[in-house]
Amino acid sequence: MFAYIIRRIFWAAIILLILSLVTFTLMHMIPGGPFDREKKLPSEIIANLEAYYHLDEPFWKQYLNYLGGILHFDLGPSFTSRSRTVNDIIRQQAPISAQLGLFAFFIAVALGIPLGILGALKQNTAIDYTCMWLAILGVSLPNMALGPFLIWIFGLKLGWLPIARWGGISHMILPAITLGTAYSAIIARLTRASMLQVIREDYIRTARAKGLSERIVMLHHALKNALIPVTTVLGPIFAIIITGSMIVEQIFAIPGIGKYFVTSVTNRDYPVIMGITLFFGALIVIANLVVDITYGFLDPRIRYE
Amino acid sequence: MKIRVKEKEETSKAKVKETNLWKDALHRLMRNRMATIGGVIVIALCITAIFAPLVAPYAYDEGNFWNNYAKPGKEYWLGADFMGRDLLSRIIYGTRVSLSVGLMGATVSFVIGIIYGLIAGYAGGKVDNYMMRLVDIGYGVPTLLFIILLMVYFKSSFASIQPGTLGGMLSSIDNALGGMFFIFIGIGITSWLGMARLARGMTLSLKEKEFIETARAMGASNLRIISRHILPNIIGPCIISQTLTIPTYILYEAFLSFIGLGVNPPTPSWGMMISEGYQGMRSYPHLVLFPALALSITMFAFNFLGDGLRDALDPHMKL
Amino acid sequence: MKKGTIVLGIITLMCVSILALPVGAKTVLRWNLSTEPPTLDPALATDTTSVFVDEQLFLGLTDFNDETNEVIPELAKNWFASDDGLVWTFIMRDDVKWTDGKPVTAYDVEYGVKRTLNPATASDYAYVLYVIKGAQDYNTGEVEDASVVGVKAVGDYIVRFELNHPAGYFPAIAGMWIARPQPQETIEKWGDKWTMPENIVTNGHYMLKEWVHDDYLVMVKNPDSYEADKVQIDEIYCMMVTEASTAQSLYEGGELDVQEIVPLEDMDRIKADAVLSKELYIAPRLCTYYYGFNNEKFPFDNPLVRKAFSSAIDRETLIATVLKGEQKPATTFSCPGIFGWVDPAEEIGHPFNVEKARAFLAQAGYPGGEGFPVVTLMFNTSESHRKIAQVIQDMCQRVLNVKINLANQEWGVYLKTCVEDAPQIYRLGWCADYPDANNWLNDVFNSKSESNYANFSNPEYDKLVEEAAREFDPAKRIEMYKKAERILCDTDAGIAPIYWYTRVVLTKPYVERTYAPMGGEHIKDWKILPG
Repeated sequence: MFAYIIRRIFWAAIILLILSLVTFTLMHMIPGGPFDREKKLPSEIIANLEAYYHLDEPFWKQYLNYLGGILHFDLGPSFTSRSRTVNDIIRQQAPISAQLGLFAFFIAVALGIPLGILGALKQNTAIDYTCMWLAILGVSLPNMALGPFLIWIFGLKLGWLPIARWGGISHMILPAITLGTAYSAIIARLTRASMLQVIREDYIRTARAKGLSERIVMLHHALKNALIPVTTVLGPIFAIIITGSMIVEQIFAIPGIGKYFVTSVTNRDYPVIMGITLFFGALIVIANLVVDITYGFLDPRIRYE
Repeated sequence: MKIRVKEKEETSKAKVKETNLWKDALHRLMRNRMATIGGVIVIALCITAIFAPLVAPYAYDEGNFWNNYAKPGKEYWLGADFMGRDLLSRIIYGTRVSLSVGLMGATVSFVIGIIYGLIAGYAGGKVDNYMMRLVDIGYGVPTLLFIILLMVYFKSSFASIQPGTLGGMLSSIDNALGGMFFIFIGIGITSWLGMARLARGMTLSLKEKEFIETARAMGASNLRIISRHILPNIIGPCIISQTLTIPTYILYEAFLSFIGLGVNPPTPSWGMMISEGYQGMRSYPHLVLFPALALSITMFAFNFLGDGLRDALDPHMKL
Repeated sequence: MKKGTIVLGIITLMCVSILALPVGAKTVLRWNLSTEPPTLDPALATDTTSVFVDEQLFLGLTDFNDETNEVIPELAKNWFASDDGLVWTFIMRDDVKWTDGKPVTAYDVEYGVKRTLNPATASDYAYVLYVIKGAQDYNTGEVEDASVVGVKAVGDYIVRFELNHPAGYFPAIAGMWIARPQPQETIEKWGDKWTMPENIVTNGHYMLKEWVHDDYLVMVKNPDSYEADKVQIDEIYCMMVTEASTAQSLYEGGELDVQEIVPLEDMDRIKADAVLSKELYIAPRLCTYYYGFNNEKFPFDNPLVRKAFSSAIDRETLIATVLKGEQKPATTFSCPGIFGWVDPAEEIGHPFNVEKARAFLAQAGYPGGEGFPVVTLMFNTSESHRKIAQVIQDMCQRVLNVKINLANQEWGVYLKTCVEDAPQIYRLGWCADYPDANNWLNDVFNSKSESNYANFSNPEYDKLVEEAAREFDPAKRIEMYKKAERILCDTDAGIAPIYWYTRVVLTKPYVERTYAPMGGEHIKDWKILPG
């Protein structure tokens, strides 16, 4: 078991390393640098700036510098903001995205799993269709239309909730709904498919034959096992929610890391782009890692892969 | 004699009853009402896309400025956009973009994924191990961020390139397609991973089956085994799983258009229309409502169809 | 009644009456910065957001009156030039202090100017100060010693500038944020972090109290500033909402007091609304929106082609149906309010004219658009630029029967593309740094200028604008600029100006405000009416 965990962690580190290299390369391939301005800066100044940010060194050297920084958990300076480093930016804004993501995740799960279970139990009936219909509605309504619509109804017309920006819990509701509904669909369909499969398994029949009530059979035996494959996607979904928050953060003017990513791409702020990409990548990798390890605990066969 | 005739009849009856997997699946599909509706809608969309010039009342770039922002009415059934262009016509032409992106994106990632997965699964051992590690790495990449970076790269590098070079050629293809070419590539490059995993998984389990061993014993070459025996068996579930991803690609395109990295105007795309109309949602809701509805209905249709196909083919199958 | 009860009663009464007293209620103005300011350092500020905040925090030798655009005294009580116009002396007030208690002196001005010009600071706007002797040499690294720069504190409160050539507009430049005094000790102590709220030292009518990045920024009144008794607004709460429609919702929902990024789609609804229409004001803005042609790129190397395109654009319809902000159609470059601008009544330039457009194109060798190659029109990524581009694409294609492809890039890449190899047609806007045509016709389209992406080159034009820069007589300057505009926009048609900007602003009725055509209003002059 221990060896399994070590192997997994090792691969996680490799993945992050390669991610950093690929992102670094892609970024440098994109034309346009951080110091392009309306009026061309005098070459002396450009030379100064490039020296300060090590942009005049050969590619591989820059990359190694960067890696060295990472080992010290230093993601470098920002090109656009002289007073904040990438660490500052991530430190200040990522928690906000995380809060939003968590809330959205919670909504997605709270909506998705019950809908999926219901649909599986009443397969091919009107209830099944309704559940699936609701779930898919969530994923089909694009964020950018749903968001302003919710703002208009609940913020302006009814005045029940804040219109935008960040503050207390009330500020989190509308953006979290906008963000979470899409993923509730994925979770619902997955839960339903998984439940359907589990229901037909032998051990369920055995449980029934033993005389257990239908409710206990479903909730205790079926659900537990049905949720296993669902947990495999919960990891990546969690990370995806954080990434998918770009539009929502933009619309609701939430000072999170998704909104800032778009800004940094526009500004060609390399270190920030790299920092955020690596940060998200790390989240996804860690999420996968946790899921893998949990899976290893739950299903012993996997450990010997 | 009578008995033999009877036997023959029974056997032939039995033969008639023994349908193949596909017909069975089709039956089950048709019984699933939502999936059938989904299928009908998808077919209707395809027809609309192909015959757009015949169906649409106006051309998609034909506008009268002084009529702009018209509310839905007699002249413009769904209203008009900021340049006075008929929204209905633009949505109809937009079907072309969304469907092409969905289908092309799905096709590109399908082809890449299935070939990759087949090779990995069939080769097995170390080759498989390394190939799948690569896929794992791919999974660690935040897809959306990557598509954004890729699109920025394509748009910046090729936007003003001299004709004659490779970049110039790609750029003119892109222009000819109204800006969709790079989107196809962008989405295709980032989305083949799931397909690869699926194909590899199925290949792995099929590989051990007896009929493959038989084929090998009979001297069939690897290529023949893959193409004649494995591929036909896995292609069904693979296509179905891809069908389920089409809505995702359509959404990606909408998102890219929304942030300005999508198709080139005046090519209409639903995402672009939502992005154009989004600022004016309070004053002219029809600008966003109808393209969003079109997007939703399309995604509904594909989702239900895909679900239904999967259920029909094998309700027990884990995808 | 028991004594205790009476005492309790009195105490309660006292408490209640104290609570009932209006405890100096703060007046707060809620403003939208629309984006996180990249920096608050005056030497480095380039964009309107940073400049707006700096306007409230840092004082300059001179300032612009919000309404008349005239140069007025701020830190400098008065100023005068030598007879040959090469030496300017500014006499400063002696009662202004930094927020750390130290007086603001001429040495701070000298330090500020030199720091801006220091190549290590890498200031984008340093070039505006090149009119000062030695500035360019120092800034480009030709000379390493800062003392060659013609700025000197000749007394605690007297600062002297030496120029390369006489420049009547110099007092305007002296007031710009890049020439303002900067706090030397603070900067040297904290380095890049000197603008953090806990470190920053300012001298303006407002101080920086709080800055939560990408979220909001708070400025509070400086009780020690020399006009503190006239400043009514105690606090400026600046949110950072980028999406115009979200900002509009916040304004209509009562959470924002001033809305400067009104979505153009909402214009009709706002004008028709009883309440909003009264809060709407369309103010002038010193900016021009234009489409440039790369004069060195086929087919736009032919002036007839350029004239054809300029004549094919129906500016009035664009403004009336799409922009809706009562902008003014422009056929010359400098906009109204800029010294040296040309009144459209003079009929210089190429306004919309279908017959002429087609005639020009035919004369160029492409009758009816036949044989004309497919050209590219590029703009920087933004929904509004995209809309305008589509409209103009449509107009040109219809009138001239040609094919235009649209392309867009983000701002940073876009600029680089324009600098290195401008597309055939590119979109750009120019806003005044100071209200003089020199900043427009010379700074941008002089053939030696680095902002001349159009590669527009005409020796007679260069001569005109360079002479006008040195000329003192305003009447003569106006004539020269008129001639130059004729060359730029008419005979050579190097660019096609489209419209002169306006500012569409919604302000709550309880805010009494000013409108500054170049932006950067002084909140110290604003009031929030009670009730």
